[in-house]
Amino acid sequence: MTIIEEKSSINAAGGWAQMRFLPEIGDLSRIVVLGVLVVAGQILYPGFLSPENLRVVLTAVAGIGILAFGMTMVVITGEIDLSVAGVAVLSIVIGGLLLPTGSPALIIGATLLCGLCLGIVNGIFVAKLGVSSLISTLAMLGIASALANIFSAGQATYPEKIAEYMWFGRGALLGVPVPIFLLAVMALACVFMTRSSTFGRKLYATGGNARAALLSGIRIDRVKIVVFAFCGLCAAITGLIESARLGYINPAAFPGLELKVLAVTVLGGAALAGGTGSVFGTLVATLIIGVVNNLLNQMGVSFYMQQVVTALVILVVVVPGMRNRRFVK
Amino acid sequence: MLKFTRRAAIGGVMSVAVFAATQGCLTAQAHADGVHDVLNGLIASYSEHAKEGMSNKSVGELFEKDGFRDYLDAYPVGGLADGFVWKPGMGATFTGPYSKLEIKAPFTDYIPLPEGPVLDPKKTYKIGFVFHGFNHPWLISLADAAAWEAARHPNVEIEVIDAEFDDNKMGQVIDTWVAKKYDGIVLWPSREAPMGPPVDRAIDAGIPVVSVDRRTSSEKISSEVLGNFYANGLQEGLYLKEVLKAGNIVLNRKDLGSTADSIRTGAFLEVIGNVDGFNIQGNYHTNSQRTLAFQSTADALQAFNDISVSFNTGGEEAMGALDAIREAKRLNSAPDGKKIVILANDDAKEVLKEIADGNIDMVSPYTPLIGDIGIRAVIKHIGAKEGLNDAPPKLIMTPNLPMITKTKMVIEGVETMTPDEWPYAYGPAVN
Repeated sequence: MTIIEEKSSINAAGGWAQMRFLPEIGDLSRIVVLGVLVVAGQILYPGFLSPENLRVVLTAVAGIGILAFGMTMVVITGEIDLSVAGVAVLSIVIGGLLLPTGSPALIIGATLLCGLCLGIVNGIFVAKLGVSSLISTLAMLGIASALANIFSAGQATYPEKIAEYMWFGRGALLGVPVPIFLLAVMALACVFMTRSSTFGRKLYATGGNARAALLSGIRIDRVKIVVFAFCGLCAAITGLIESARLGYINPAAFPGLELKVLAVTVLGGAALAGGTGSVFGTLVATLIIGVVNNLLNQMGVSFYMQQVVTALVILVVVVPGMRNRRFVK
Repeated sequence: MLKFTRRAAIGGVMSVAVFAATQGCLTAQAHADGVHDVLNGLIASYSEHAKEGMSNKSVGELFEKDGFRDYLDAYPVGGLADGFVWKPGMGATFTGPYSKLEIKAPFTDYIPLPEGPVLDPKKTYKIGFVFHGFNHPWLISLADAAAWEAARHPNVEIEVIDAEFDDNKMGQVIDTWVAKKYDGIVLWPSREAPMGPPVDRAIDAGIPVVSVDRRTSSEKISSEVLGNFYANGLQEGLYLKEVLKAGNIVLNRKDLGSTADSIRTGAFLEVIGNVDGFNIQGNYHTNSQRTLAFQSTADALQAFNDISVSFNTGGEEAMGALDAIREAKRLNSAPDGKKIVILANDDAKEVLKEIADGNIDMVSPYTPLIGDIGIRAVIKHIGAKEGLNDAPPKLIMTPNLPMITKTKMVIEGVETMTPDEWPYAYGPAVN
C-alpha cells in the first residue's frame, strides 16, 4: 500500500466521532485552480459572478457532477464504470415508455429503479462473477444503449406534461434550481459516506488493497455491488435532470458521457488504480469544468478548441499530482 | 442588375421569374406552382451579389474565414428531373415500417414508379439500403420511406442495415452486397470521402448505386439524390431580412465542414452579407447536439444582453437554444423588449409545435422522406442496365420546400406555409 493510500484509509477510519468535511491537501490545489479561473472570469466578464451566471454554471454541471460522485466511489474501489451513458439513457427511456400512464410516481420510480438495477447487475458481474469491470460495464453500455433504441423504436418522447418529472430539471426549491439543490445534497451525502462512515473506510480499504481488506473481514463483494448500484442510481438521476431540462427523452442522448465523467473524476484526484480519491475533489473538478466551459463559451471559443482547453486543464491539474504520488511511492 | 452566370441550370426564363418575384410582381399562386425555381433564382441572385462583395464586415469576415465560398460553389443547384413541379399537398400517406408513425411523404410522385411488380416481373430484385442511425427520428424516417417504397413492389426485396456511424462498417456492408451480387444499392453516407472506394467497387461490379441526401467522393456513382441545403440557409436569411433590419446574431452550427453546416450557414450569410445592421455576436459549433446548443446559448445569454437572433442549422440546435432562452426567461430580451428571433431547419413535429406556439419564428423544412426517391432511382438504373427503361439523371435534386411560419407571409416571392398546412413533419408528435 502506498503512503497516500494509507493516509486515505486513516482518514476514512475517523468514523462518526471525527466528522471531517474539510478538504484534503490534494484538493487545495484544485481549489486554487478554481479560484484563479473565477477571478480571471470576473476580470474578463464583470458579470461572471452574477447570481444568474452562477446559476447557469451550476445548473450546467449538476448532472455530470452527480454522476461523477458515483463514478468516484467506483474508482476508489479500484473499478471503473463505462456503462453510465447507457444506464442513463435506458433509464429515461423506460420512464418515457410509461409517460402514457400519467403517473409521476411510476415514471420517476421506474427511471430510478432501472438505473439502480442496472448498477446492481454491473456490481454482480464484477464482484460475484469476477468479470473485469472494464469488460462488463463496456458490455452493459452497449446492451443498455441498444435496448434504449429497441424499446423506444428510436423515437423521442416528451415529458413536459408531467410536472413532477419536469421539476427535476426546471423546478426550484427555496429559490434554488432543483439540479443545483440535488448536486448539493448528493455532494453532502457522498462526502459523509466516504469520509465519516464505516462504509467509507471499507471503500478505501477495498480499493487500496482488496486482499488486505478481505482478510480484515470486509465483504468487498458487497462494497463493490453497493458502489455500482449507487453509480447506476446516479446515472438515472443525471438522465432525469438532463431530460427534464430539455423536456425531451432522447434514446440517442449522452454520447461519450462516460469519458466526460471519467475525466471529471480523474481531475478530482481519483486514481484509476483505486484507493485514492475524494468526493470533495470531484465536486471542485466539476466546478472547474463548468467554469472553463462557461468562460470559453462567453469568449466565443469554438467547441473544438474548448475540448483542447478542457483537456489541457485536466493535464495541468492532474499531472503534478501524479508526479508527487510517484515520488511518494 | 441580376446576373446568372454561375449556374447553367438556371436559364433565362428563371431570371425573369426571379426578377419579377423580387419586384413583387408574382402572385402567391404562381409561387406555389414553382417554389423550387423561385428559390433557385434567389439562390443565384444572392450568390452573385455576395460574390461582388459583402458590405457587412462581421458577416464577410466569418464567410471568408470559414471558406464558405468553396463549399457553396461546389454544391449543385438545378432543376428537377423530368420537369417535375412539386406542389403542397402532394405525396402518399402510410405508416412507417420502422417508426410505426403515420407519415405523409412529399415526393412520392417524383420519379414515379407505379405500385406492383417492377422491371421483369418474373425476377426478384434484391436492393441493399445502408444508412446510419436507427436512433434518430430523421434517419428512421429516411429508412421508413425507403422500406415503404420497396414494399410497394412484390418482386423487390430490401435489406436495411444500420452502419451505426461507422464508415468501415458501411464499406463492409457494401462489399458484402457486392459479393452477394445484389441488384442495387442505396446508401446514406455520413461523410463523403470514405464511401468513395466501396461505391466504386460496387459500380465496377456492375451494381447501380444511389446515394441519398449526402454525397460520396465516387465519381462513378449512378445517381445522387441531393437535399435542399442551399434553400434552407437562404430562407433563414430571407426571413431575417424581412423581419429585422439590424441586430446581434448568435449562430448554433453543425459540425465544421459538414455539408449541412457549410451550405446552410453559407447561404444564410450570403443573404445577410449586404445588410449592414447585422452583427455576428457568437458563433458556436454544437454539432447537432441539443445539450450543447442549450449550453452554448445559455452561456451566450450571460455574455451578451442584446442578442436579437438565434440562427440554428438544425432542429436539434433550435430546440436546445429555445430551451436555454426559456430557462433564462429571456425570450423577450432583444433590444427594445422585442422577442429574440429564432431561426431553424428540419421540420420535426416538435419544431412545428414551437412555431405554432410562437416561440420559434420560422423553420426551413428539410425532409428525411426522400429514401423512397433513392429506391425508385436505383430500380430505374437496374432497368436501364437491363434495357427496360432510360436511366434517371445522375444528379437528382429534391424539390426546394417553402419555409414555415406561424402566419402566412410572402417573402421575396416565396409564400410561406403555416404549421397547419404542413402535413409532412416527421418524428413523434409532442403531447
